[in-house]
Amino acid sequence: MKKVGLTTTIPVEVLLAAGCTPIDLNNIFVTGGKGLELIESAELDGFPRNLCAWIKGLYATAMTNEIDAVIGVTEGDCSNTKSLIEVWQSKGMRVIPFGFPQSRQREAMVKEIDHLMKTFEVSMQQVNKVMEKLYPIRQRIKYLDELTWRHNKASGFENHLWQVSCSDFNGDPATFLKDLEVQISEIEARSPFSDYEVRLGYIGVPPIIEDIYALVEANGGRIVFNEVQRAFTMAEASVHDSIYDIYLSYTYPYDLKARLVDIKKAIAERRLDGIIHYTQSFCHRGIEDILVKQQLGIPVLTIEGDLPGKADARTKLRLESFMDMLRDLKE
Amino acid sequence: MKILGIDIGSRAVKLALFEGDTLKKSDIISTMQFYRDYSTTVDGSIRLDLKAIGYHHADKIVSTGYGRNNLQVENALIINELKAHVYGALYQTELKNFTLLDIGGQDFKVVKVENGIITDMLLNDKCAASSGRYLENMAALLEISMEELKGHFENPVALNTTCAVFGESELIGQIALGHKIPELSAGINYSLYKRIKPHILKLKSKNIVLTGGVAQNNAIIHYLKEDFHEVVVPELPQLNGAIGCGYLGVLKERKRSNA
Repeated sequence: MKKVGLTTTIPVEVLLAAGCTPIDLNNIFVTGGKGLELIESAELDGFPRNLCAWIKGLYATAMTNEIDAVIGVTEGDCSNTKSLIEVWQSKGMRVIPFGFPQSRQREAMVKEIDHLMKTFEVSMQQVNKVMEKLYPIRQRIKYLDELTWRHNKASGFENHLWQVSCSDFNGDPATFLKDLEVQISEIEARSPFSDYEVRLGYIGVPPIIEDIYALVEANGGRIVFNEVQRAFTMAEASVHDSIYDIYLSYTYPYDLKARLVDIKKAIAERRLDGIIHYTQSFCHRGIEDILVKQQLGIPVLTIEGDLPGKADARTKLRLESFMDMLRDLKE
Repeated sequence: MKILGIDIGSRAVKLALFEGDTLKKSDIISTMQFYRDYSTTVDGSIRLDLKAIGYHHADKIVSTGYGRNNLQVENALIINELKAHVYGALYQTELKNFTLLDIGGQDFKVVKVENGIITDMLLNDKCAASSGRYLENMAALLEISMEELKGHFENPVALNTTCAVFGESELIGQIALGHKIPELSAGINYSLYKRIKPHILKLKSKNIVLTGGVAQNNAIIHYLKEDFHEVVVPELPQLNGAIGCGYLGVLKERKRSNA
């Protein structure tokens, strides 16, 4: 069985239909405990210091793990990936490019996914079969999200981890579902978090800072909305949607405008008191902060992360002061 | 409902009494006098004698500042200094988006406020060279009052060391070169400003609100106005932290009675 690395969420159904094991390189990089070493090894290979740490982490993770091929997402995620692909190829790595069409046109999406299916030699029938298997898992993840914001029982980190893991279902959807059911039962048995907690939304790419969820909870609050992680789950798609529809209604790779609509809906529905907008150092998405602050209508704290690890003292103090004032507004 | 805000600073203790929504009475007492005349030690902890200061009629007390964790003020709600100063600035300026620069007796703070909420801050460690204490020491060396020091901003002599102690030696050097009080004073004011400016630049916004004891220094205001778009000095800059405490008490009370 082939192991295929991913640089971000892609139509994972195609890989599973081909009998491949999808591996989201981001997840291995950030949870493997060797983040800084991986970045250093990428820098030794010539990656610039003033470049997003995720790109360097992805590069070194693919080089040091047994990966047979990588799907590099060239459109809709990060244009640095285009150059990363060329370096990988120069080192002998097989790379399959995939792009979320910026036009968000159906024809373009059909072309991209069909190309992926052709590369992995799978039919639409095989893909549909996988979709049938993934649908109930995605719905259970949606329930875990509801356990977070509606029933107030799941922590912000649990919400983040399970949703972010939907990019590759930890390489094995059946085991993923089994583990998820155990986690859900454990969460269901808990008593809910306090009604007085500060409810935050987390928007932007998943954090490279590992303790952000714990810090929010230590300050008497909880993250009850993880925007991009939730988008990774594709749980909003209906059982009748085709694979093309699913990845066309996916928000993350497209314009900010559509994301803001999604975020505003969550602010109202999940009764959010404030937003943490996470940006990665040297990432083009940092520019989006201008519009995020103007248009959301609730307080926004922008946190920029660079290297993997725990939050620094200033980030802690910023978060503490921000939440302290939100609590004053809430009381 | 009477609400008292107390800011226990390193050089002075500030008190602000609100009645309803309005500031009715305020006082600034030197820290030494405050501890000597208005505090007593009971079982190892310091207790404040509000009656002796004339503020014992308050129904609610909110306190902050350097000494807030050492001093027992009965039934007081203790809040952090950053928040106290931000609430003070919100009350005094009615702005919602600004960069607050508070220069106190022992430190300075730069706080960015967006939509009325703290989003970023830079704080110095306890360092005399970037605080009001530096101005006091240097004025003493020139044998002039703070009142005289604060007016001079033109033709500052160069004072470049980052340390308050070595700064004194440097000032003596400039005195020996024959410079007069106006240039020497301007040099002192400008050297303090120069140390703080990079921190403001990092968190700048269209409005800079200047508070703390040093906000009474005209030279610092002059230098700020040269470099930044809009500089706002509230009516009672030194009382800002105490006003913020009182104002937060007012807000909480308002919410409580509306609930």
